[in-house]
Amino acid sequence: MIKNKAFPLIVLMLFAAGGAFAAKPAPAPAAITGLTAADMPYDVGNAAILRWPVDPAAAADTVYVVYSSSQPAAGWIETDRFAAAARTGKDIELPFWAWDGTAAEHAVKVELNNIFGEGVPGSVFQFKVSAVKGKLVIAESLPVSVTPVGNWFRLDRLNNLVLLIGLIVIFFWAVSHAKRKGLFIRRIAGLDAIDEAIGRATEMGKPIFYVPGIGGMSSISTIASAFILGEVSKKVAQYDSQIKVPHYDPIVMTVCKEVVKQSYMEAGRPDSYRDDLNFFVSQDQFSYAASVDGMISREKPAACFYMGYFMAESLLLAEVGATSGAIQIAGTDVEHQLPFFFTACDYTLIGEELYAAGAYLSKEPMLLSALKVQDFGKLVVMVSVFFGMILVALGAKLGWTGFVQGILHLFKGY
Amino acid sequence: MSETWLIIGGWVSAGLTIFLFSFLYKDNPFFKIAEHLYLGAGMGWLFQVSVTNVWIPKIWEPVANGELLVIIPSILGLSLLTQFIPKISWVSRYGFTFMMGYGSGLAIPAGLSTDFISQIGGTIKPFSLLASMSPFAIFNSLLVAFGAICVLFYFFFSVEHKGHLKKVSNVGIYFLMIYFGAAFGNTVMARFSLLYGRFDDLYTYSAGRYFYATQVILVAMVVYFILHGFFTKKDASTEEAA
Repeated sequence: MIKNKAFPLIVLMLFAAGGAFAAKPAPAPAAITGLTAADMPYDVGNAAILRWPVDPAAAADTVYVVYSSSQPAAGWIETDRFAAAARTGKDIELPFWAWDGTAAEHAVKVELNNIFGEGVPGSVFQFKVSAVKGKLVIAESLPVSVTPVGNWFRLDRLNNLVLLIGLIVIFFWAVSHAKRKGLFIRRIAGLDAIDEAIGRATEMGKPIFYVPGIGGMSSISTIASAFILGEVSKKVAQYDSQIKVPHYDPIVMTVCKEVVKQSYMEAGRPDSYRDDLNFFVSQDQFSYAASVDGMISREKPAACFYMGYFMAESLLLAEVGATSGAIQIAGTDVEHQLPFFFTACDYTLIGEELYAAGAYLSKEPMLLSALKVQDFGKLVVMVSVFFGMILVALGAKLGWTGFVQGILHLFKGY
Repeated sequence: MSETWLIIGGWVSAGLTIFLFSFLYKDNPFFKIAEHLYLGAGMGWLFQVSVTNVWIPKIWEPVANGELLVIIPSILGLSLLTQFIPKISWVSRYGFTFMMGYGSGLAIPAGLSTDFISQIGGTIKPFSLLASMSPFAIFNSLLVAFGAICVLFYFFFSVEHKGHLKKVSNVGIYFLMIYFGAAFGNTVMARFSLLYGRFDDLYTYSAGRYFYATQVILVAMVVYFILHGFFTKKDASTEEAA
């Protein structure tokens, strides 16, 4: 009987005790002072940057939580969460000439478009930061607001601009030099074979297939291919041989038509030019390959040129050309297709050699100058890698962190 | 899809695969059928993709919704077609010029950043962690930097590669060849997986459910080649005798 009465009494007491504890007011969170929100510099206006001083007394298990909202003082969304020792001004990925961050302040970049979607630039956004220990909010900031805007100038890309200006200056110097004195280019082995291939085709009375690849006119390798086509078709016209240029891209075909026509005129053989020397095949990669393969195997050309942008069709084309007994010269800047050309072709122009080929064949001052600028670029890379490697290693060994970071910032793509 | 259509699909698939493979023996009418069908189907498919993925959503619908700005790029695009009319073919230059300018503007800054500056940064960055690097990691970083310089020198056209410079250039070629070998192996493996896919299909269509499509087509083609070879030889010998 006593047991029966005691049980509800104990339950009642537990509830009463719980109520008493719950009624105790929680301590008010401290304030995080110095929080500022600003538009993220040098971007398209999709991000904001929050900064506030590092609290040296913060415990290791304290976590900062960043909230953002597109409404005034409502609709808070947790945006970021990190340990109190992390995210200082040093961690912002901007170079030293565009950002002055210290380890004494927290700096958090908030990518607003990832949270609020489109239409971020020009809108007002609110932010607040809480310091959390376990589940308890121990400190909180007042809300701050910012309106992100797009920036016209990317100061962080100043290194790109300086390099670009340098290249432009070198280009104009090279053009002027090429026009006055000419520029030297070393011999490129594969290109000497072009005459041999065209001569062979003339002797055999068989056509030459020139395949410009599957790249569009914006592809650098296709542009280089068009220059080589110009020189090849000029020689074809001079030898009164026959060239066939099957196309994947109608725009490339239109450009190549003009190129071939011009070459025939320059060679003094406009009468030999026909509009159907360039013809459209298909804009489907493997249909194109199958069709060109069929043509090569039926017409048994004396020479095949594969110059331009190639993907999986490279081996399909080159293999059939090799089987048909044609002398084959290939060139592409798609490095993972080059091995297939090596195995199936007589001569292969590797990457940059393709770009150089047009200049080498034509001796055109503009092209020679472009090649010189490329060489200058390569020289800059070689020298920068060599000295950069030494300086960075030396700086790291001597503990010159700022010096090392400065060099790394100079050579970072932003 | 009904069973009948599945069987027809199986026959078409097995047939076209074998027709295309028959090119490995020699050029023949079956390959030509598959080749032309592939070409036509490819073009037809691309046409419908252009209509449904470009023309309707990018031009027709915006114009219907009053977004008239899309007319400007559309006119630039249409200007390319004037190439077919010699009298006004000069109009196409506007379209081409815009494309070239836009392409260069887009490609040059991106190329400078990723292909140039980032490459230098990526090569020298490991040396900033020199204190924490193992001897092997240091050797690896030096090898990468040395390889990058040698390969770049191979593509340096402004000086003749003679004497010691030739040696540097040759080392560059070795680095390139090692890369090409690895790329070749990698791609060949990927191609084999495509081949297995076709063989797997041929195996599937060789089942009784598909009325032995693979075997029937294969045997029919072999019979054709034997008969064709026999009659061609007979014709040739008759001509020789005549």
